[in-house]
Amino acid sequence: MSGEIEIIGTFTSEDECAAAIEGLHKAHVHDFNVFSPFMSEKINEAVDEVRRWGRSPVRKFVLAGGFTGAFTGLILTVGTSWEWNINAGGRPIAAIAPYIIIIFELMILFGVLSAVSSFFLTSSLPAFESAPGFRTRFGADRFGLVARVAESDVSKVEAMLRDAGAEDVARAAA
Amino acid sequence: MAAAVGQGDFPINYIDVDRTAQRVMNPAGLKYWLWVAFLAFLVAVGVSYWTRQIYVGLGVTGYGQPNYWAVYITNFVFWVGIAHSGTLISAVLYLFRTRWRTAVYRCAETMTIFAVVTAGLFPIIHLGRPWYFYWLCPYPNERFLQPNFRSPLTWDFFAISTYLTTSALFLSMGLIPDIANQRDISTGWRKKFYTILACGWQGTDRQWRNFSMAYLLLAGFATPLVLSVHSVVSWDFATMQTPGMHSTIFAPYFVAGAIFSGCALVITLMVPMRKWLHIEDLVTVWHMDNLSKVVLFTSLVITYSYLTEAFVVWYSQDPIEMMTFHQRFFGSQAYLFGGMILCNCLVPLLLFSPRIRTNMIWLFVISIFVNIGMWLERFVLIAGSLSVAQTPSQWRFYVPKITEVAITVGSFGWFLFNFSLFTKFLPIVSMTELKEGITWLRKSIREPYPYRKAA
Repeated sequence: MSGEIEIIGTFTSEDECAAAIEGLHKAHVHDFNVFSPFMSEKINEAVDEVRRWGRSPVRKFVLAGGFTGAFTGLILTVGTSWEWNINAGGRPIAAIAPYIIIIFELMILFGVLSAVSSFFLTSSLPAFESAPGFRTRFGADRFGLVARVAESDVSKVEAMLRDAGAEDVARAAA
Repeated sequence: MAAAVGQGDFPINYIDVDRTAQRVMNPAGLKYWLWVAFLAFLVAVGVSYWTRQIYVGLGVTGYGQPNYWAVYITNFVFWVGIAHSGTLISAVLYLFRTRWRTAVYRCAETMTIFAVVTAGLFPIIHLGRPWYFYWLCPYPNERFLQPNFRSPLTWDFFAISTYLTTSALFLSMGLIPDIANQRDISTGWRKKFYTILACGWQGTDRQWRNFSMAYLLLAGFATPLVLSVHSVVSWDFATMQTPGMHSTIFAPYFVAGAIFSGCALVITLMVPMRKWLHIEDLVTVWHMDNLSKVVLFTSLVITYSYLTEAFVVWYSQDPIEMMTFHQRFFGSQAYLFGGMILCNCLVPLLLFSPRIRTNMIWLFVISIFVNIGMWLERFVLIAGSLSVAQTPSQWRFYVPKITEVAITVGSFGWFLFNFSLFTKFLPIVSMTELKEGITWLRKSIREPYPYRKAA
């Protein structure tokens, strides 16, 4: 959108980056993206403070996958036993105890497949284009904070990023 | 230069972790390719003997009444066991937030994948007509009969295939951020290769949020799975009526044994890798010390299991079970049992000494003993128990022939071949997790380790 500028702040530590995110929150700038070379709890907490996303939706997919797997295991074992109904010496047609192993394994299998597929789905992967403002150092040893702000707020946000400890602050046309 | 990182006054930082990992993946020299060629040769030997076995039949092996389960099933159980430490180190220790796992878990996970793949070959090799291996799969035959879901062999199919899938996905997911890092610093064909594998990962807050949840849940699934898989493998034996195999302690005993042998193999691989790949600053003495403590602990569990197993046999006063154990302890193949006790129960006791735990040569030697001991344990259990069947006129002590030996050696070649290729093309240490725990890594490098002088 015209009239908006992307400001890229580069940080050497996660603490500084988290402080900058809090600064953006206070400045009512909520359109931003954070890049980090590893999973940082501090950055996650700071982002969550702003976005209020809560926990990842992956867990719901996994729960559904686990139940589906267990149900599939139950249908496969009990269903096929009933389908070929042989009475062997009065023993139960559907022997639940050994079937629990199959049910358990399929619950795990479906749960795991759901976890991985939902991770890709919710993270919009595979992605074929770089996110705006991404720099290769953000995958190595720097933390990146890319904020999209109105032209009138640029100076204020740049100053805030520097105050938070940004090593470098740059602009890119949005 | 290897020694530059993390030594002296130069504190290790994020980029040092990348540089060290990158150096491991630099184009290999002649020595590396000679090593890979040697392993490929071992694989070729194994494949050629297997081809001969398929062509001529199982008669080329030492199999015969009553030993129809011997080296191949021993190898199957051995390799499945080896696989377990990967899941223990990566998943179980991840749930407990154990810091020392970060440096070694990728190696253990990689080992898991190749060990399960190797293990999965043995039930097929064991078949006289391997082209019918798919009969185990749960599909209805022409009479609409499904496999018997009460059979431990069917449980095995489900357990092993789930385990392989879970381990492969767990490893692949953990690799994505590191591969993305490699993508950003590589050139040429490697850049294209890593670009495909990285799936466009850029480490945004949303990606990390979903990644950490998915990874946590995968770890949560893998933890009970690791307990279930080797329990299921143990039930292949424990649900039989064969003397020497019919024991309810098998499930925990197999799980402990699997972790024991797997951690020992991680040490066997890590000690030379630290030296040859110059990753001493990422995989420190602290990491190896902690790994060896796991080996020591599981060795004690194994020793307790051996005693319990023998006690239960004595307590039952079942004459056939007593006879089987008598043969195991004092029979003509008692030297195998003795070797197993020496390697699994006595030699690991050396790890009570902090000096030995921090001495890489000692660790390497002890880990080799454990690997031999654990293979012997499975052999004694399977081939030994079957040798002394319930009718003494059927007794026959199994001796492997060249076919089994060549295929077994070939399996080690196959495992190491895959592992060696992995180390050169994909990150063998987790860069992201090392960076996450960099404070701990610095501490393990810079502060004098309690027993550092011994190393």
